[in-house]
Amino acid sequence: MGKIFDWIDSRFGVKEPHRRFLQRPLPEKLNYSYCLGGAAFTLFLMSVVTGLLLSIYYVPSETEAYKSVIRINEEVRLGWLVRSTHKWSANLLIIFIILHTIRVFITGSYRPPRELNWIAGVFTFIFAMASGFTGYLLPWDQKAYWATVVGTSMAGTVPFIGNALLYFVRGGPEVNGTTLIRFYSMHVLWIPVMMFIILCAHFHMVKKQGISGGL
Amino acid sequence: MNRRDFLKRIIKSALALLGLSFLLSLIYIYPAKIKKKGMKLVHAFDEEELPRRGVKRVDFSYEYGNRTINTLAFIVMAKEGFIALSPVCSHLGCLVNWDRNKGEFLCPCHGGRYDMEGRVIGGPPPAPLTRLPLEIKEGKVFIGIKV
Ligand code: HEM
Ligand code: FES
Repeated sequence: MGKIFDWIDSRFGVKEPHRRFLQRPLPEKLNYSYCLGGAAFTLFLMSVVTGLLLSIYYVPSETEAYKSVIRINEEVRLGWLVRSTHKWSANLLIIFIILHTIRVFITGSYRPPRELNWIAGVFTFIFAMASGFTGYLLPWDQKAYWATVVGTSMAGTVPFIGNALLYFVRGGPEVNGTTLIRFYSMHVLWIPVMMFIILCAHFHMVKKQGISGGL
Repeated sequence: MNRRDFLKRIIKSALALLGLSFLLSLIYIYPAKIKKKGMKLVHAFDEEELPRRGVKRVDFSYEYGNRTINTLAFIVMAKEGFIALSPVCSHLGCLVNWDRNKGEFLCPCHGGRYDMEGRVIGGPPPAPLTRLPLEIKEGKVFIGIKV
């Protein structure tokens, strides 16, 4: 293992510039709650991988969506496992983001110079919620449909621009195939890409600013 | 065990787990059913039950694997002879009904309308009702079902 890695790294050169980062000083009083962000990241990666697998069988169309989900559950080998793992990792992601935020709050790590990283963190939370909301519609069953009807109708209550906003998220006055496709696109392309970008920024700042010294 | 060995072991376990997930993914991606789609003629009813004119709804069932599947079709006495129509609307797949008074197939979901031979005459359906193969042999009527 080591030999292969060394062969690659002697050309790729990722180890040397990170030596200082990997051997940087850490605050004395670290504990396992500092792993919560890493746990959230692991869950994010798991939902990405299982999501990629689901996209092999899922068909984002009005007539096929529900059938394809049933097929994944009942016919595809290990389909139930992939689908449940996607669901669990997505739900646990939200929980772990919240736990991580509580850790950052308790240790006061949001204070200067880390305010911007707190803001980046808020965006990861917004993206995770948006991903959950758009993903919920995809099975295209009664529960999904009506949850989306109710959820999107909230946009319509915004003063003045409510209706325009509603058409914007639904792709028309009602929830139909157009809504399904835009939610699918958001769920598998737009949100993951934005999440990736914001996480790069988040980790960049963790690296540059180091882990805060605690209270 | 010192910290360095411990971390090395953790990294190795993580890589093993990654390899396992990769294998499981391959199993998942490999198609579960390589059975080719075929057509199966099932004995639906007997010749004397054919409609003399117009349209008749027939309910029938057949064995598939270890399940009994109940289904239905419309038998139409058309100019060129008997035809069997699938009741599945070509719009979003609701089951259409034969309206004897209007002489049309009506879809309850979004108002799709088809004439007696299954051609679209109104509403959202993009295509006619599917014709199912129909064979009459030795007094028995067989309908072709996709399996
Ligand atoms: C997908 C969601 C998130 C992931 C994957 C993630 C990941 C991480 C990781 C791996 C760290 C390194 C330290 C640790 O693990 O505790 C970190 C630090 C940090 N995170 Fe997050 N995070 C997420 C969401 C958030 C949210 C919602 C906030 C705040 C609203 C936030 C604020 C911060 C801050 C301020 C730090 C620096 C902490 C310090 O230096 O002590 N993060 N994040
Ligand atoms: S399903 Fe028949 S008209 Fe829409």
